[in-house]
Amino acid sequence: MAADELSAVVVDDHPAIRAGVIHWLSSGTPPIRVAAAGDDPKVAWVGDGAEADVVILDLHLGGPAPALGELRRLVQAGRHVVVYSMRSDDETALQCLELGALSYLTKAEGAEHLLQATRIAALGRAYTPPSLAGALAGDRSASRPALSARETEVLVEWFQSESKDFVAQRLGISLSTVNTHLEHIRVKYAMSGRQAPTKAALVARAIQDGLVRLEDL
Amino acid sequence: MRLALLGVVAVVQFGLCPRTLFGYAHRPMWLALTAFAALGLVTIACAIWVLRREPLPTAVIAVGTVVALAASVAASAALPPDEHIGAGDWPLGLVGWHLLLLLLDRVPLLLTALAAHLTSSVAQFFLAGGTDRGRVGTAAIIVFGAVTLQLAVVVFTRVLRRSTAQAVAAAAERDRQAIRVAVAEQWEQGQRAVFAEQLGEVLPLLAGLADGELDPRAAGTRQRCALAATQLRRLFAENDDVPDPLVHEVSACVDVAERRGLDVSLAVSGAAVDVPADVRRDLTGPVATTLSAARTRARVSVLRTDDEVRVAVVSDAGTGLAAASSAHVEVECGVYGEHTRMEARWRRTS
Repeated sequence: MAADELSAVVVDDHPAIRAGVIHWLSSGTPPIRVAAAGDDPKVAWVGDGAEADVVILDLHLGGPAPALGELRRLVQAGRHVVVYSMRSDDETALQCLELGALSYLTKAEGAEHLLQATRIAALGRAYTPPSLAGALAGDRSASRPALSARETEVLVEWFQSESKDFVAQRLGISLSTVNTHLEHIRVKYAMSGRQAPTKAALVARAIQDGLVRLEDL
Repeated sequence: MRLALLGVVAVVQFGLCPRTLFGYAHRPMWLALTAFAALGLVTIACAIWVLRREPLPTAVIAVGTVVALAASVAASAALPPDEHIGAGDWPLGLVGWHLLLLLLDRVPLLLTALAAHLTSSVAQFFLAGGTDRGRVGTAAIIVFGAVTLQLAVVVFTRVLRRSTAQAVAAAAERDRQAIRVAVAEQWEQGQRAVFAEQLGEVLPLLAGLADGELDPRAAGTRQRCALAATQLRRLFAENDDVPDPLVHEVSACVDVAERRGLDVSLAVSGAAVDVPADVRRDLTGPVATTLSAARTRARVSVLRTDDEVRVAVVSDAGTGLAAASSAHVEVECGVYGEHTRMEARWRRTS
């Protein structure tokens, strides 16, 4: 086991999904080690699971209500959480971001997005998959942060095409600029609403990277 | 009804009463004549509005009622003492008819006024010394007769009014039904026209295939078939009663494409908004065109924000897609590397 190998813990009540996610993670390049997996959020708090870099959390663990309380507790403990949900409704997605999840993926989004989200979350950074971009672009809540026209356009194009190459080509910008825009948008969201350790870390990192200035806060 | 009542009042007052008025010795005569003239004026005043078929003004009714009641008291007072509620008591019936003419629409007031009029007549009857048993009996029969006839008129008027109102309501309902039928027929014709318009793409295609003019193996024919199938499915979906018709119609297009073996992902964002049927047609039309041209995969997305609805297809359809904007919907089409992007955009505020 390499020291810099990433590790993840998978919390999902469905054995087939668990097995699939474990397979995707361990067969990625480079592979991501699955420290623990189970249908109970406890696996993320005890044993190897407590040490894992990323928590991949299913929102619907058998109960009727989404496990938003679990998400909040994990985020408060400073864990990097990627929510992996059956539901694709925008409201839940935005709620998870508000609580401090680093990414929200729907199960319709495949291995590629999950691997990227996990790798990026391990670094404490946010990953915005296309469906989440759609939710952000369609956000009509009063508390939403003000996005520039270009940022909105990046969100919309990414949602519409699922291809960053396409977004870059269409808007005449480089791939890294597309990523910077997406990151900037997430920092804006992290700066609005309730406080969470992961959100504070996102903002701190954005300041270090020169993505936002201190006076913007 | 009021006109008939006016006739009754006129006939009773100017036809029957003068004989009674001049046939008996009133004391004083001038009081009786003044009362008669006052009642005559009330009749003429009423006639002005009744003949024009207009409702009586409230002031006329108020003054008329007061005058009629005053005339009743005055005329009764001037009657010969033994003629109260008898053959010579002309005001007894006449004033009742006047009150009826004035207050036909105000039944509670009418009953009060009639009661006042009768009370005054009966009171004068007893004051004039009518205590003889036989006279009281006759008087009771006369009062009963006069009151019954006049009350019957009131009841009859109410019944007549109610049936008129019912008849008017029934006629109005019939008119409404007729309009509804006409609207439904027009709607059906409109639907037929729309269907015919949309089927216009299908019929020449089927004819061409049947006649052997079109080769089913040719890529062009297959694409036309794919387009016709998608348009038909979209058309069927258009009339379904669903909470989110736009997404329902887009899903129908996606469904046909998936049956064709295309790898399609559909993403919807934002809450459902009301989109008029013609705008939906303009938004989903380009989706059908692009999907039927796509070769292996497509990404279809519906995005709804505060002020616009954007339906987009990013696919490998290649070049040669024609996209026409409509009055409401702006359609944009372009090729970026291997991706062909088509977006139909409706600004809700415009």
